[in-house]
Amino acid sequence: MLKISPDELKLVAQYIHDISGIYLDQSKSYLFETRLGSIATEHGCNTYKELYQKAKTEPSKTIERKIIDAISTNETLFFRDKGPFELLQHKLLPELIDARTPGSPALKTNIKIWSAASSTGQELYSIAIIIKELIPNISKYNIKLLGTDISDGAVAQASRGKYNKFEMERGLPGDKLQRYFTMFGDSWTIKDEIRAMVQFRKLNLMLPFAGLGKFDIIFCRNVAIYFTLPDRQKLFNKIADSLADDGYLIIGSTESLTGICPRFIPKRHLRSIFYQKK
Amino acid sequence: MRNMTILVVDDDPVIRRMLEKRLEKAGYEVLIAEDGYQARKILPQQHIDVVLTDLMMPGSIGGIEVLDIAKNISQNIEVILITAHSSIDTAVEAMKKGAADYLEKPINFDELFLRLEKIANVQSIMRNAQDLSQAMDTTESAAALTIQNLEIRTAELQSRIESIEAILRDEQNPPYERIYKVLDLLTDPQ
Repeated sequence: MLKISPDELKLVAQYIHDISGIYLDQSKSYLFETRLGSIATEHGCNTYKELYQKAKTEPSKTIERKIIDAISTNETLFFRDKGPFELLQHKLLPELIDARTPGSPALKTNIKIWSAASSTGQELYSIAIIIKELIPNISKYNIKLLGTDISDGAVAQASRGKYNKFEMERGLPGDKLQRYFTMFGDSWTIKDEIRAMVQFRKLNLMLPFAGLGKFDIIFCRNVAIYFTLPDRQKLFNKIADSLADDGYLIIGSTESLTGICPRFIPKRHLRSIFYQKK
Repeated sequence: MRNMTILVVDDDPVIRRMLEKRLEKAGYEVLIAEDGYQARKILPQQHIDVVLTDLMMPGSIGGIEVLDIAKNISQNIEVILITAHSSIDTAVEAMKKGAADYLEKPINFDELFLRLEKIANVQSIMRNAQDLSQAMDTTESAAALTIQNLEIRTAELQSRIESIEAILRDEQNPPYERIYKVLDLLTDPQ
């Protein structure tokens, strides 16, 4: 494995922060080596400095994409941590449907949900499955489910909706597995009826995203933990701008907005917390 | 590493006996079923890691049906099919339905042991990953509870501070009245 020097650590950590917002602890040199070593070798670089220079100047951005894919964590599961999904099913969606259903039956109910760090798509597909089960007359709704992630690789896998048995292992009850997935050998593919409900695209949360419009529910779980405090403050401030006035924000179960964004207040429902704008 | 338990399903007593002997000698726990029907009885009652089944057996429960039964009980049960060369197409179909592998007759034991070794390795990695994620879940839910309580409490205190500030700044009331109001608010047990 190609060794990284202290100077290179600093350089590469800064570069990764610039392209992704992800802040990596420089004391964990093995993390850089295990995740970036093979990219360096593959592109004929003998040092990490060389890799950095190549990645920065290469017009196609291929190496930059590979670095982002390698460095971003994609550990995620269907219905990971039941709390937020129960919250969505039993409280947020019913409340939202009440609030958004127009007076005239001729009009459709608009609902927009965003999974801000969608990784390989399990969170957004879990949301789609809940919506499918909760709303019988779905044609009366105009539902937009958007998933975004910084990693091209993650976005591509999410769009395919194909998972291996390790990725399916936890979280998904057998009945949902049979109903919403097709098995082929050791892999499972989400059925078209669910696939058609969602859309994935690449997005760096450090850049402006007001262009996505306003959302009724935003899931932003376990991504801000990789950012520095000032970056987190900026992120949640932009999220507040992108959330409808009566919309809901859900963050990771061990995350907190105290000292990060005073525009949100936490509210408790059973064993979960969600945030609304003041 | 824990010994794997293997269920051998074959209607040929000679092959059955041979598999049983060789697998036991190699250190595996072995269970025997004489046909698909017996396999259907045994599968839900025992913990089985691998099913080694003949593809063609008399009656309506063949190797493919045994595969379905096993996978229905648990996706973690791996199934290896034993087939005659002529039925390889069926074996490939079985792989699509989740079979781990197939072996052609006559059985090459080196090949069989290699496959079993591979399955054992994957299962041990899976168990390890499960243990880790279990540990992570436990830590995470304990931390989540603490953080949620702090988050709500902080928000309550923040809103109390804001009320106190509003009372103290309210020039409609004389200072001593503002102080009484603040003291009332502070002694409120909420």
